[in-house]
Amino acid sequence: MAGNKTIKSAIESMMFVWGEPLSVKAVADIFNVDKKEIYDCFKELQTEYEQEGRGIVIREVNKSFQYVTRKENLDYIERLCTPVRRKRLSQSALETLAIVAYKQPVTKGEIEAIRGIRCDRVMEGLMKKELVAEVGRADSVGRPILYGTTDEFLKQFGFETLKDLPAIEDIEGALAGDDEDAASIDGVLGQLSLEDIG
Amino acid sequence: MSYRVKLNVFEGPFDLLVYLIEHARMSIYDIKISEITTQYIDYVKQMEEADVVLSSEFMVLAAELLEIKSKMLLPRTVIDEAGDEIYEDPRTELVAKLAEYKKFKAISAMLEERSEDAAAALEKPQEDLAEFTGEPDEYLSLDIDQFRAAFELFIQRKKRLEELREHHIRTEKQRITTELRMAGIRDYFRSEGLRETDFRRLVPNAKDKYDISVTFSSVLEMMKERTLDAEQKKLFGEIKVKAMDKLFEDNTVKEN
Repeated sequence: MAGNKTIKSAIESMMFVWGEPLSVKAVADIFNVDKKEIYDCFKELQTEYEQEGRGIVIREVNKSFQYVTRKENLDYIERLCTPVRRKRLSQSALETLAIVAYKQPVTKGEIEAIRGIRCDRVMEGLMKKELVAEVGRADSVGRPILYGTTDEFLKQFGFETLKDLPAIEDIEGALAGDDEDAASIDGVLGQLSLEDIG
Repeated sequence: MSYRVKLNVFEGPFDLLVYLIEHARMSIYDIKISEITTQYIDYVKQMEEADVVLSSEFMVLAAELLEIKSKMLLPRTVIDEAGDEIYEDPRTELVAKLAEYKKFKAISAMLEERSEDAAAALEKPQEDLAEFTGEPDEYLSLDIDQFRAAFELFIQRKKRLEELREHHIRTEKQRITTELRMAGIRDYFRSEGLRETDFRRLVPNAKDKYDISVTFSSVLEMMKERTLDAEQKKLFGEIKVKAMDKLFEDNTVKEN
């Protein structure tokens, strides 16, 4: 039975070689121990790297971990070489992605109802970028395809799991300052119902 | 034209409507339907005049707005089952849709910010792990005959390419030399102020057959241009080359 120290050391070596996010399950299978134990080892390592302010930090992506550079060091890396920048997503792609992220599993029809415009092309682009994927089929008429976000989405947007997505109320709260009619959604909704009665 | 540019900004009919409402400093919860409908339809018309193909969804919303506008003119109270008067706002459904849309627009702004922040952490792509997995490389599984055929094809192509290249360089060299020689002959006559000379004097290296033939073809070419004239008294005799007036006056003769 390998000790905690051995496992952590092995995990570091494995992450170094693997490059891509290394899943807790793969490591658990190697050591033949409980996944929870391995997860804790990953988390301990992550904390250690973070606390020591190392230039390499450990990023969690949906129960997998990988080495990435510390964000603060980007400036220095760019002085050394110029990493290829990902192309920014278009506004329509971002809107569609936002709907998929918060409504998943979701059909194209539902997305179109919210955006008021067809989304086939945008969805195609998002699937090509591996940000969204088919996750199943709805039980409704025609059994439409259901879509959801991928691990790549979590990675590119800096979320560890889908649970990390900020609550919608928090986002709108953040916008309240510079948007007058979003000043208090609740308040206005209240007004609306008052008017309804009157 | 400015509208054409703006179109790219609007991701759909809701996007346009939200923009118009905010531009008019209205709250989406209290839309002046009449005013907004006029603006919306004006915009759609202008787009059509500018030859922009709007998707049918824009028309659908225009129709919806008109429907709401007409409903606003009708009495807005209905009697519910209990016999109470209920105020019904025809805008309610649209407001709910717009609020929902704005919610996701806000989320998309949040996502954009997140992605910029997350992009600052760089990852190393997975390297070729074939060395670690112990799997033989693909080409080793190739049949020896296939390999030979591929190699022969490669050799053949290389040969053909070399032949082609050789030929290409030779023709290019010849062409340049003829032109240079013609320019040289012109300069010779002009600088020496001569009207007539011996063909041999025009050949710098009389031992080089190639040099002689280039000079000869240059002289022929210049005779065609009527800048030179030549005369040969007898077979295999000396060739007298005479400069014509055109050689001196025509300063703008092109190099090629």
